[in-house]
Amino acid sequence: MEPAPVPAADATVTRHSRRRFLRWLGGLTVVSTIAMVTTPILGFLVPAKSGRTAAGGKTLVGTTADIPPGGGKVVAMGSTPAIVVNTEQGLRAYSAICTHLGCVVAWNDLIGAIQCPCHDGRFNPASGAVISGPPPAPLPPLNVSVEGDQIFLSEA
Amino acid sequence: MATEQATGGSPRRTARWLDDRTRLGPVLAAMLHVRIPMTARTFYFGGIALFLFGIQVVTGTLLALYYKPTPEAAYESVQFITSDVSFGWLIRSLHHWAANLMILFVVLHLLRVFFQAAYKFPREVTWVVGCGLLLLTLGFGFTGYLLPWDQRAYWATVVGTEIAGGVPVIGDSLLLLLRGGSDVSGATMSRFFGIHVLVLPLALGGLLAAHLVLVHQLGLANPKKPEPRVRTAEADDEPLRPFFPHYILDEVVAWYVLLAVLVVLASLYPAGLEEPANILDAGHPKPEWYYLAVYEMLKFLPKDIGILAPIVGLGVVIVWPFLDRSPEVLARRRKVVVGGATLIVLALVFLTWRGYVA
Repeated sequence: MEPAPVPAADATVTRHSRRRFLRWLGGLTVVSTIAMVTTPILGFLVPAKSGRTAAGGKTLVGTTADIPPGGGKVVAMGSTPAIVVNTEQGLRAYSAICTHLGCVVAWNDLIGAIQCPCHDGRFNPASGAVISGPPPAPLPPLNVSVEGDQIFLSEA
Repeated sequence: MATEQATGGSPRRTARWLDDRTRLGPVLAAMLHVRIPMTARTFYFGGIALFLFGIQVVTGTLLALYYKPTPEAAYESVQFITSDVSFGWLIRSLHHWAANLMILFVVLHLLRVFFQAAYKFPREVTWVVGCGLLLLTLGFGFTGYLLPWDQRAYWATVVGTEIAGGVPVIGDSLLLLLRGGSDVSGATMSRFFGIHVLVLPLALGGLLAAHLVLVHQLGLANPKKPEPRVRTAEADDEPLRPFFPHYILDEVVAWYVLLAVLVVLASLYPAGLEEPANILDAGHPKPEWYYLAVYEMLKFLPKDIGILAPIVGLGVVIVWPFLDRSPEVLARRRKVVVGGATLIVLALVFLTWRGYVA
């Protein structure tokens, strides 16, 4: 039995839709190839561990003799810096990372305040609040405990 | 036997022998035998930047033979290069000075193109690619700065990455990606080293090739009159000079002068090294001079605005050819644009100076 002839108009439609399908398939191939290549690359770039490497629990940072009244000192709390100050209200401790651009603050005897060397941001030693300069937030506080003459710090 | 005869003869015969086996003669001729407008004034800034990139590739490759990219060993390996390796101080100082001069000359090249309006039709894409080259050059400076792992390197990177971390919306992710963790550490150093010696050179090589092809295809701009949209007989009558050997000879002379300047700078002011990085003492960190304006701006502006302003500024610079649609090229007829740009450049120079003396 002879097959029925296909009308010319239908052939055009078939040709066009086939071409469109192939274009769509080509586009899908390109997009999926890009996704297939970039997904593992981007995933690889994201670090495996994102937490700060601070010591857990209490960290011994020195003795009371190291920080006389009206003085202050930057100490290591695990791998992050902290600052301990001996104020009229007693020992206070804060993260020593400036809230502006991440520099390490220091105790300044002359002005009696915690000072950032980068843009001269100053912090109140009793509260960690910003006194002057561009830092947008106070220094995050840490817990201080004294056992005998030993000073321990822990996360607040 | 025939080969021996060919190679043993004059340079011309050697060139013919090589051309017979590569067929690159026409390609070379097409590259070299172009003509440029007599009125074109490039001051050789772009060519000098290219030459400095070549110096960076050579000196950087040599330094990589001795450098150890870990926080424990990096500082000592840089000390070793400087003190013990033959000509180590010279290679390191050349790398240091060529890096600084490369940024200077890329910026001078951009300013020259801007003030001569050479970014206008048909060179808009060349401008955008050139801006990409500027960003990559700044990236080289940023990633290379950490590698000696001294106080200056460490704290400049802490501040630099913190600024990147302040970018709205993507800041936290960007900070994590740049540092390879929450702090500047050995992971940061591995990333910066990999980016500095592999990613950026490949990217810069690719963009540079695109930039040079575009410059070759479009020719140098005439700073006296705009490029006609349609070629006319008058435009074709423009006085021209050959690129090779006339222009290239001047360029090579400029390269020699710069090489002499580099050696003098490296000898009189060799690259220094501060104390090893100490996470408990920031000292008084400052970034390199080309980031000082942004650093100083952050002293006076709120953090968000101080970080966004340069990003928006750079974005405007990149798309500037599509914003400035006027065909006019003469500076005296572009008073607003030229005056505004001059003021911005002066403000940046002032902020850099303030940051330097602070």
